[in-house]
Amino acid sequence: MKGIEQKYDDLEGLLKGLLERGVVDCAVIPRRAGKAVSYMLVTDPANIESPASVIFAPSFSVNAANLVKGWTIKEKVAIVAKPCEIRAAIELIKLKQMDKESLLLIAVDCAGAYTNQVYRENYTEIGDEVDSAKIKELEGKGIKLRESCTICANKLADVGDIIIAKGAGENVTVAALTAMGEEALTTLELPLEDKDLERQAEKEKIASEAKSNLEALPQMGSMDALEEFLQDCIVCKNCRDMCPVCYCKECFFDQPLGDPVGGDLLNLAELRGAIGLPASQLFYHLTRVYHVSATCVGCGACEDACPKDIPLTRFYPVTTQKVQEMFDYVPGKDVEEPLPFTTYEEDELEDRLSE
Amino acid sequence: MGEEIEGDFEPKIVGFTCNWCTYAAADLAGTSRKKYPPNSRIIRLMCSGRLDPMFVLKVLLNGADGAFFSGCHPGECHYIKGNFFARRRIAAFRTILKQFGLDSRFKSYWISASEGEKFANTMKTLTEDIKEQGPSPLRGKIL
Repeated sequence: MKGIEQKYDDLEGLLKGLLERGVVDCAVIPRRAGKAVSYMLVTDPANIESPASVIFAPSFSVNAANLVKGWTIKEKVAIVAKPCEIRAAIELIKLKQMDKESLLLIAVDCAGAYTNQVYRENYTEIGDEVDSAKIKELEGKGIKLRESCTICANKLADVGDIIIAKGAGENVTVAALTAMGEEALTTLELPLEDKDLERQAEKEKIASEAKSNLEALPQMGSMDALEEFLQDCIVCKNCRDMCPVCYCKECFFDQPLGDPVGGDLLNLAELRGAIGLPASQLFYHLTRVYHVSATCVGCGACEDACPKDIPLTRFYPVTTQKVQEMFDYVPGKDVEEPLPFTTYEEDELEDRLSE
Repeated sequence: MGEEIEGDFEPKIVGFTCNWCTYAAADLAGTSRKKYPPNSRIIRLMCSGRLDPMFVLKVLLNGADGAFFSGCHPGECHYIKGNFFARRRIAAFRTILKQFGLDSRFKSYWISASEGEKFANTMKTLTEDIKEQGPSPLRGKIL
């Protein structure tokens, strides 16, 4: 791949350059508001100030792909975000919900993130960025990573058009993974050189940590356990709204069959003798987990969105990972790889049908 | 519900079958007077590809003790490849059910229109199997 070594301070010029030179028409970039971090949609490069202090910030509030989904028309948008958000964007491209040509995806190395509330409250201790040593230290003080980040095996930026990889100290490597990314960097007139950014050992270490963290999570294992787990759910469907890959314009659960009221509810109660309220807790979540089973990137936006603080990471990514393993599919890894449900092999999966 | 004495338990099974094969096989089993347990209620679909796993989820959550799906053998779909897509969906859906111990209550088969005997035998084994598993853990639950 082609890339360039830069310092943190150079990133401002890089991101401004993308707008100034018309590589993109606008950009979705993290922004700081006091101690808090959220996103901005920026068209005037003057609004980009020392991005290094914010793009590495270990704070997660909403998946950036979800912010861009649904309105890309012909203007070109750059998204500067964490790998899980970029992977979600790639899944949305494959789902034909976003246009590949109108996006410039820039993935930034992540070490794991805190919920935006935890980040804001502990900003003085967490700071602008963290590494694994710092995360351990903070954990000792009771400042814990989001659960979905602890089970994430793909924290290093290795997807999208351009990656911003952290090096030692204030060094970063900016590299292009696709022709579009390379073209963008060339337009900026950066002295590109061949980069060999093989971080296999580091990746394996992260993956094995993620695996042991995943295994340490409480397992549900039965319908009784799931029923109890979802008992507090108010079926507000906020997990669906904040999920980047739950993309239907008209959700089944917004229609009368999925959202029964009045007489329909009474009919259901009559059929069953009694039904739980709010209605369809299990039906809603089991349907949704199946719908996102191939494409869930495990970003944990559902858990962050839950007003009842149900640890949905223990349900969504944990369940969908099993399906993805079966198809040997890593969502967001490759934009050319077909979605598991849109393709097939003639001879496969026979042992999964009635065992 | 759920009050039957053990041994007298008659499971309720909901089946989804393809119009072009298993539905005809069920018909053939009937016209050739093959005996099989009357526990299953069949819903006809036009193709395996029409099987939305939500159908299965809904019958299981509404208290069915078992559910099955049956369609044309892979490679013999009336619409060329509906059953290939269905197979992927079913495998994914059963993987999800498996994590909550429900996968044993949803089985999937390939039975062609000429396999009346196979249909009858499958119904026998399936009914025995579900009987052995007992009433669904979701039966009578307030969901």
